[in-house]
Amino acid sequence: MNRGYMGKILWVDLTVKEFREEAIPDEIYEKYLSGTGLAAWLLSERLPAGADPLGPENILAFVSGLLTGTDSLFTGRWMVAGKSPLTGGWGDANCGGNLSPAIKRCGFDGIFFTGVSEKPVYLLINHGRPELRDAGHLWGKDTAETEEYLIAEAGGHARVAAIGPAGENLSLISGICNDRGRIAARSGLGAVMGSKRLKALVLNGKKRIPVYQRAEVQRLSRQCNKWVQLQPPFISGPMAAYVGTLMRVLPTQMAMEGMVYKILLKKWGTVSMNQMSVEIGDAPVMNWKGSNVDWGIGKSLSVNPDAFKAREKVKYHCYSCPLGCGGVCATKGPYGDVHKPEYESVLALGGLCMNGDLESIFTMNEMLNRAGMDTISAGGTVAFAMECYEQGILTREDLDGLDLTWGNAAAMITLVGKMIRREGVGDLLADGSVQAARKIGKGAEAYTMHAGGQELPMHDGRNDPGFNVHYSVEATPGRHTIGAQLYYEMFQLWKRVRGLPRPPLVYHKDRKYVADEEKAVMAAACSKFMNVANGAGLCMFGLFLGAARIPTFEWLNAATGWRKAPEEYMAIGARIQTLKQNFNIKHGIDPRSFRAVDRVVGRPPQNRGANKGRAMDIEKMRSDYWHQCGWNPKTGHPQGE
Amino acid sequence: MSYRITETCNGCGACVKLCPVGAITGEKKNIHLIDSLLCIECGACGRICPTAAVKDSFGIVCERIKRSAWEKPQFDLKTCMPCGICIETCPVNCLAPAEPVSGRELHSHPFLKEDKRCIGCGFCASECPVRAVRMSRSFLAE
Repeated sequence: MNRGYMGKILWVDLTVKEFREEAIPDEIYEKYLSGTGLAAWLLSERLPAGADPLGPENILAFVSGLLTGTDSLFTGRWMVAGKSPLTGGWGDANCGGNLSPAIKRCGFDGIFFTGVSEKPVYLLINHGRPELRDAGHLWGKDTAETEEYLIAEAGGHARVAAIGPAGENLSLISGICNDRGRIAARSGLGAVMGSKRLKALVLNGKKRIPVYQRAEVQRLSRQCNKWVQLQPPFISGPMAAYVGTLMRVLPTQMAMEGMVYKILLKKWGTVSMNQMSVEIGDAPVMNWKGSNVDWGIGKSLSVNPDAFKAREKVKYHCYSCPLGCGGVCATKGPYGDVHKPEYESVLALGGLCMNGDLESIFTMNEMLNRAGMDTISAGGTVAFAMECYEQGILTREDLDGLDLTWGNAAAMITLVGKMIRREGVGDLLADGSVQAARKIGKGAEAYTMHAGGQELPMHDGRNDPGFNVHYSVEATPGRHTIGAQLYYEMFQLWKRVRGLPRPPLVYHKDRKYVADEEKAVMAAACSKFMNVANGAGLCMFGLFLGAARIPTFEWLNAATGWRKAPEEYMAIGARIQTLKQNFNIKHGIDPRSFRAVDRVVGRPPQNRGANKGRAMDIEKMRSDYWHQCGWNPKTGHPQGE
Repeated sequence: MSYRITETCNGCGACVKLCPVGAITGEKKNIHLIDSLLCIECGACGRICPTAAVKDSFGIVCERIKRSAWEKPQFDLKTCMPCGICIETCPVNCLAPAEPVSGRELHSHPFLKEDKRCIGCGFCASECPVRAVRMSRSFLAE
């Protein structure tokens, strides 16, 4: 039966170099979808408690989405999952590009690695025939070089995912790259791949992806595309910052309409928010202790959206994406044409470190992509080191002579290079700020801005407490790609899912900080919905169009032949959420330990800037969320399933 | 479902060379075999076979067509999103993103980069959600 999924996965045992195909029963897809849902089920079943994340027992899963390749749109995301060496619990990361359909076109919904290879290897799947090949000559090469070499060797057209030196060096903030600089960056899964001595995957498959009603999927895609192509002319890049200023000074705000964000994304990409976010109070500044006052419109002008657009040579679309938020930009540095940095990278390497030097941001972004290191965690770790330097905890001698004052771009580039190579002080910082603070001591922990061991992304929960809730409650802590009050407004789920609340069109900003049941319902809905999205392989930016414009549930029914109501899909999302939470508990994690650190939740509140005086009862918000998930509101332990 | 080779096969090997997924095996001058697990039903073997020895998934004998008359994709760039589905789905990788047109938004639309490799399967057209790809023989008149 044609159901959108391939119905089987490939197991690769790297220790004994054996392959095994496993058929997945239909009922598992109905229960957990594909993607991270399928991975969560398999890892929960097969990974023993206490397994060393960097040992042979850990399972590293590369999974595609259920909707990938069905002619639905925005469904080109692939996901990697495993036990995270950074947080000690469930780890996953998500990436675009063209790898996701390649996994399915090789005949599998996922490729699962176990064991550890004695020598570096890479996996080649050529039209359904897997083999492990020696990668000794590639070990040490960066991700772009590796990809180019392997594509050429495969005849010019394969899809490749690879780790760079960061993953090889077991950096706990390393990720896995594809398409010359897209990176599944979070959870430190590059180190898991490095620990297995698996350099790369090379996928060359052309299998047809079976769809129940392809014509219906395409009809839904055409409807969705009409909304994507609706693109009125918009204001200039620097002017966008003043929209943020206006939003900051007003005591009220409007529920965000995702179509507005779509227009920004289509014009500029995620960098559209660079200055606006600082102005609103959404972007953390100076290791989360600063504000828009410290990094105002004048200082951040160098990273205004038009500065990136001016360098853009061509727009970059991930597979099946009609939006094209990415881009290839020309740089003056040694790397030439590079992927346009994302908002997260620009702010982590920019405002968070008070760095307004655009060229240095391009350089560090490309260095990190090539090394396979997470730009968010790397930026967060550099900002941590800068504050330690300011406080006298790290001296110039400790920093190998670097003058790591705020905004010193040259010192930042040198430090990032050292982190990639694990050289000198770089070795101390290569595993992220939390591990570094443990080694440094002297109260350095106070300057680590993290949740559950992972550096926080560039969305300030003091502006939108929904971010702080998700940073603190998710099985993968410190992630901005799951939920927020803003996201709930843009998802517009109440238009498709019965019983979900519709936020008021205009509301006083103080309302955001009230810990009530409605906020918990909204947050739980975001988690459930994103589990569905990550099972389907959907991109969050597509989902921002709103549930009435991007037919997530309708696509799933048309692709699989199921006749599930949106509420049933949300129940699947809830099941996956519980599965991941139970995974963490099985591996010894106390859910309470994932709470975002004090500074981030407004303890003490800031005394100036956009988020002046803002604080929240994060414990109650967290407890309410757990209650909404049907878990123990005091401990976060799921009951029953 | 898979294509199948019948006894009329003369073992010329034309289909083996053309099959984009390496699904066909067989010695020269012996009847060839299609691996049903690898076959993607692109139909190239049926179109190239000089002895009409290939049956499609429905058991219908495929008609030989002169290669120069095989249909090729044409792109309606006004309708194209562009999303890259056609490029990715092409079994012989003969499509590629073109240089963006200056003066417009810098999106890179698909084009037939290697027309000699095209096997006329039409997957690009059938998978395009917005019907921006059309298979046509009109290039013959050009």
